Amino acid sequence: MTSTTSTALPAVERPQPSTARAGRGTRRRMRKDLLRSRIAAWCAVAVIGAFGLLPVYWLLATALSTPESVFQFPPKLVPTDLTLGNFTALAENDQLIKYMVNSLIVASITAVLSVVVATYMGYSFSKFRYRGRRSLMHLVLASQMFPQALLLVTLYAVFSSFGLLNTYTALVLSFTTFTMPLCVWMLKGIFDTVPDALLEAASIDGASRWRTLHSIVAPLAAPGMIAAGLFAFVRGWNDFIFALTLADKEKQTLPPGLVSTYIGEFQTAWPQLMAASLVVSVPVVVAFMFLQRYLVGGMTAGSVKS
Amino acid sequence: MTTSGISRRGALRMFGIGALGAAGAGVLGACAPSGAGSTADSGDPKSKNFDFTSWSLNEEAAKPAIEKIIKAWEKAEKSKIRAVSYPYNEYLSQLTLKLGGGETTGAVHLDIAWLAAMAQMGRLADLGSVAGKGGYTDVALKSGVYDGTQYGLPWNTGSIGVIANAKLLEKAGIKKHPTTVEEFEDALRELKGLGGGVVPYAAATKVAQLKDIFPWMQTFGCTLYDGGKVTIGDDASVDAVTWYKKLHDQKLIAADVDRFDARALFGQGKAAFYDDAIIGKGVTSAQSKDTTLADAMQPMERPVLKAGDTPRALLWGGVIAIVKGKGQDAATEFALHTTTDRATTSAYFAARALPPSTTAGLAAPEVAKDTFTTEWTEKITKTASGSPFWQFAQSAQIDEVVAKQVQAVLVGKAKPKDAMRKAGEEVTALTKR
Repeated sequence: MTSTTSTALPAVERPQPSTARAGRGTRRRMRKDLLRSRIAAWCAVAVIGAFGLLPVYWLLATALSTPESVFQFPPKLVPTDLTLGNFTALAENDQLIKYMVNSLIVASITAVLSVVVATYMGYSFSKFRYRGRRSLMHLVLASQMFPQALLLVTLYAVFSSFGLLNTYTALVLSFTTFTMPLCVWMLKGIFDTVPDALLEAASIDGASRWRTLHSIVAPLAAPGMIAAGLFAFVRGWNDFIFALTLADKEKQTLPPGLVSTYIGEFQTAWPQLMAASLVVSVPVVVAFMFLQRYLVGGMTAGSVKS
Repeated sequence: MTTSGISRRGALRMFGIGALGAAGAGVLGACAPSGAGSTADSGDPKSKNFDFTSWSLNEEAAKPAIEKIIKAWEKAEKSKIRAVSYPYNEYLSQLTLKLGGGETTGAVHLDIAWLAAMAQMGRLADLGSVAGKGGYTDVALKSGVYDGTQYGLPWNTGSIGVIANAKLLEKAGIKKHPTTVEEFEDALRELKGLGGGVVPYAAATKVAQLKDIFPWMQTFGCTLYDGGKVTIGDDASVDAVTWYKKLHDQKLIAADVDRFDARALFGQGKAAFYDDAIIGKGVTSAQSKDTTLADAMQPMERPVLKAGDTPRALLWGGVIAIVKGKGQDAATEFALHTTTDRATTSAYFAARALPPSTTAGLAAPEVAKDTFTTEWTEKITKTASGSPFWQFAQSAQIDEVVAKQVQAVLVGKAKPKDAMRKAGEEVTALTKR
């Protein structure tokens, strides 16, 4: 404990004018340094912001441009011939709406399936001890290391032999192969943070393991489960090659649908493609807006142990 | 509570499992049944219903015209055609997978550059007996041949050649198309003198399209592939690349140009020459604000090294191949009808400006009155040839390794001789795989 008082301090001499000037100079320098570092920080933020937002701006500008102005060389940063025609044309394209519905169905089921399976697997890995548990955990993660092309060819052959090609099932199962491992590890990390004492208390109160997971652990891990679901949804929503290969036009999702519709042998309909890309990114943006607080919490949960 | 961290031992175990799993997946993939139509050549060849696979069925400009052909056939033959399509850039890989898996049947639209890769899979029917009935031109017929067998009926046969802007040439005081490399260089300098950011020749300088260098290499005397040997790296190929580099250094061609940039430059009257397929006229003029550009576009014979040489051009076009098995007979009839019926080919020409592959089709008044098409056929397609590398499954990789070496020369990272020697070695390795 300190017992110093002002009287205990050595007498402070009144600063001489030159020392005071020096003090003011130091403060001024410090203020200048602070201002400089703030300006530098703002410049850095502006540069990074521009780097991040420029593609979005370019997307919007192209979506509002006419085909002729898009091909201007050198390209113009600010478009002059603006039109909404690219957006109105989207509403008239039934096939695009079909692709969007397919994407919503497939990505949503992928998210739910990934979370359900990953919850049980993650819980098992976290709270149960059994032979081969570690190997199984590593096997789940190692499946992430397979090249996509290898998985694709194998899945194509397997789905084909089971008559599952061109079905939602094929898409959901294939998307789940690459969303589930990360979801499992993400949720395992979250379950690790749930104290064992809580589970023991539930057990003493007569709750079965099943009940403990559903009524006690799952609500606690809900933010993490939402984050994992969102991750799986976005992966499913964005996948191109699996959706193109495993589904026909009737069941195809947006990414291959957009490429098929707008990117041709000789020409790419950039304004329409950009308008469609903007519109179809809306569901993902909305999902992020509503769930982003869970996302941050869920992604970092389990990173620090109590 | 357990830890979720990965120890070194754990990481090693994981890699081991990963490798084992990858091998297992490979074995599983290899052992899995080959698909819905698992047995090769399965299905009833006499079936009236079949599939027609074409990338053009995705494309706004082509789709209505092809659907019209399909509907007319279905009505006349009381059959059902299932239209299947994949995007052009993914077409070859998708088709390879699906043809191998037995999912693709019936008629298949192929770029002539892909015919060899598809034919090597052993699932395509020999159409030799049918092709004789079509009245195809010699050059067209050859575009459907691989290893002496007629695997494809030619649908549209054209080439990739040089397109000139007559208005710009006139502005630079150039009265006629240059015929030799020397004259061409002089013309490019005249055009450069116009100023205003004109790129005299919007030649490909980006890797994606640098395969356009091949006809120039041939112009300088390189055969590319001869008697089972890759000839890239010989003096002629080095001369061609040295010349290309000279054009680049003198700013007669520009850096970072691909086909899309070339069309944009040409469309804005900032390029006097560029390389494109015959369809380039429609594509480039459609995206140009200059409504008179189409009239100023002229096909030009690629300049030769010395007078009397044969101008070089790359053959370009599409064929329809038939998959053995379900619907084979009806699909063959459909392919023959689509590629040779005069009314059908004329209507398709009217919709897409793609030249028919038959003598009668080319002579049809609707086609014959199109000066650009007839001139193109006479000046460019007549002497065009396919790439000797198309016969290799790695032909796309071959294009890329040569392109990368040429680009290294253009940006000054390699000398032409070293770069071409290296390209030749790499291409040789790819042809041996």
